[in-house]
Formats: sequence, C-alpha cells, structure tokens
Amino acid sequence: MKRLLILLFAAGLVAGCATTAAPPEERDPRDPWEPFNRSVYQFNRGVDRAMLRPVARGYDTVTPQPVQRGVGNFFTNLRSPVTIVNLLLQGRPGDSGRAFERFFVNTVFGVAGLFDVASAGGLERYNADFGQTMATWGWESSRYLMLPFLGPSTVRDGFGRVADAPLNPEWYLALEQASYYLLALDIIQTRAALLPRDADLEAAFDEYLFLRDAWLQRREFLIHGDDAPLPDYDDFLDDDEDW
Amino acid sequence: MRMIPLLLSLMLLGLAPVQAEDGPVEIVRGTLDGLFEDIDANREEYQAEPALLQDEVRDRLLPHIDTVYSGRLVLGRHGRGIETERIEEFAEAMSELLIQRFATGLLEFRSRDQVEVLPLAGDNTERMTRVRTRIRLDSGSRAPVDFVFRKRDGQWRVFDVIVEGISYVATFRNQIGEEIRRDGFDRLLERLKAGEVEIEFDE
Repeated sequence: MKRLLILLFAAGLVAGCATTAAPPEERDPRDPWEPFNRSVYQFNRGVDRAMLRPVARGYDTVTPQPVQRGVGNFFTNLRSPVTIVNLLLQGRPGDSGRAFERFFVNTVFGVAGLFDVASAGGLERYNADFGQTMATWGWESSRYLMLPFLGPSTVRDGFGRVADAPLNPEWYLALEQASYYLLALDIIQTRAALLPRDADLEAAFDEYLFLRDAWLQRREFLIHGDDAPLPDYDDFLDDDEDW
Repeated sequence: MRMIPLLLSLMLLGLAPVQAEDGPVEIVRGTLDGLFEDIDANREEYQAEPALLQDEVRDRLLPHIDTVYSGRLVLGRHGRGIETERIEEFAEAMSELLIQRFATGLLEFRSRDQVEVLPLAGDNTERMTRVRTRIRLDSGSRAPVDFVFRKRDGQWRVFDVIVEGISYVATFRNQIGEEIRRDGFDRLLERLKAGEVEIEFDE
C-alpha cells in the first residue's frame, strides 16, 4: 500500500511538471501557491484515475439509481449535526432549528435518512460548515489550497474541516475507532455521483483553473447565499475600452 | 415534416414581437413561457432532432443577449488590438455554445412549473439588474439560476448567467485567458467555431 502511494505521488509530480502555471504577476491573487496546488491536483487526479474512478464506476454499474440516491441521502443526513451546530454559530438560530427539524424528520420517518422526506415536504436543505462559519466571523478571503486526497479547499476551510470532523459520525469513526467503512462508502458514492461531470472537466482547456474557479465561486455563494455579490464586471473590461 | 415546427415557430415569433420597453423580469418570464409552450407542443420532434430546438432557442434568445458585451468581458485585455469584426465573431461563437447547452438542458424539464421567476430584489441599478430564478430538481431541492441584465440603447439584454453561484462569464474568462496566453486568439477562435471548446453549464 505504502509503495503504491509513493509510486502515485511520483507519477503525480512528474505529470505536474507538464503543465505550466502562469508567471507570478499574472496569477490570481486568491491562488498565490498555484505551482504547488497544481502538483497536488495532478497527484489527486492520479489517485482518482488509478483507484477511485474505477471503483466508483464499478459501484455505479452494480448499484441501481434509487439505491444510490438513498445512500447519498443517508450521508447528507449524517452530516446534519455539523450543519445544525454551524448555523447556530453563524447566529442563525431559526435556520438551525429548521435544520434540526429536517434531521429529526429524515432520521425518524425517512428510515435513518435513506429517504429525504423533509425536502419532499418543503423543508429545504441547508449547507453549513465551520469554514463558512469562520467566513461569517470575518475571515472572508483565504488562500486557495489543494489538499491531497480531499481536493479543493482554502487555508480557512482546511482548518474548518478539522473542526467539523468530531461532529461528523463517519469521520469520528474513522479517526477515533479506525473504522473506515462508512467513510469509504461515502467517498465512493460521492465520486459515483460526479461521474457524469468527468466529461465537462476533461473538456476544459485547463482542468485545474476550471475546477478552481468553479469551486471558489460556489464557495462564495455558499457563504453569502442570495446576497453573494456579482462578479466585478467593470474590472473584467479592458481599461482602454469605453463601454 | 421539418416544415411544420418551422412554420409554427415563425407564427409564434410573429405573434410575440419583441417589445423595447419590457423590463428584465418580463423578458425572462415571457421568453420562458414561450419556450416551454413550444417545447410542450413539439417535444417529440425536438427529442428526435435537437438541432431544431437549438434553432428555436436561438431565435428566441438571441435578441435578448448582449453577445458583444459578454465577449468583451470574457476577453478583457486579451481583446486589445483585435479588430471589432473578429471580436464579434468570437462573441457570436461563444453565445452559440451557451444556446446549445441551454437547449440540451431545456428538454430535461417536464413542466413549466419547475422554473420559478422571483421578483426583483437586492442592489439593482438603472443600468444593471439581476433576475433570480429557481429550478426545482427531482431531488426536491431548488437550484438558483440568475440572469444578469444590462441596459444599453434603451434595451435590457442578458450578458451573464449565474448557476448556483457560478458565473458563466467569470468561469469562461479564466479558461479563455489561459488558452489565449498559450495558443493565441486565432487558434482559440478556430477551436470555438469548430465546437471544440466546452464549458460547464449546470442543470
């Protein structure tokens, strides 16, 4: 196992040299560590191609769609404590209460969360984690950081994941009890759900930039919700042009 | 066979002339209503021949899109020194891509009720407005899709689409910028027109 990891890592680093990051002055200010992040991304893609994607494909083939949806619902429901606590920490007790209601309804009437009966009944899903909470507390912009195995993140959201782990049963089991079944199933299900998107990613001119831009915008949206600011369009235009 | 939907669409276009004084919300609502009506009537033809739907979507959407402004935003300083004609070509090819993706996505809707157009809210100005819509997915959750409008020469036109917080212009801009940096504008335009460039459009 260890040897395999080293091999993958080496393969990733070699592939990393093939793509070129923009020179420092042209880099996105949110991603000053682009060369490092690109190497980690290549490594992650290597792991994905060699192990995760084949496993997810197999799983996708043998698992009927309704079952997959149930598994996805189950893990979303399992993350509810993280959501409930963080909504509270963000000063949104009303939303936190509704998230708790969702958790209760889906756990009791949705067979331990396999069925998302709450959404069907009009109780909308919330998305909150400690990274977002720290953003609302004032740590608004943070450097983009590609984490090995875990994927796109920022420095802030990386710390956030660590803080959230004890509240999430699957991570708790993995870290404290060394029981990895739940975590593994979640990862495979999540990856299987993303299989249809592979074509989009591979069609991008620059996968790394594509994923980064989409992820950062999506994150901004999760933090600010409907109040998320529009892109700075005026800044997009060439200064020499008069529009 | 091919003539019937074509005639139908010409009739529909004739019945719904583009009104210059329409506000952004009315434009979104009117265009969506018209499109869904048309798709409900011709669903089978469109499924058999997606190109027909693309023509239909193009006819209905293009008058409401500020393609050149979108193109300028995406190109930024990379558009410097390139003739207006070439930039317009680029803008056209870019909106064509969006229209194709939009048409593909549309067929997946079963009913008009899945799309809800929200009343205006937030910081809209006389020159820029964001129309928010919500799309109900099969899972029961609702995906936000926003259309950003800009007023030019007295007419409101769309120049950006934001799906779940991800802006079409902003995302495309970085991809394009990187491609021009490496291969140059001409090569990019060639690829774009050949349909070799793809962008994500979430449904």
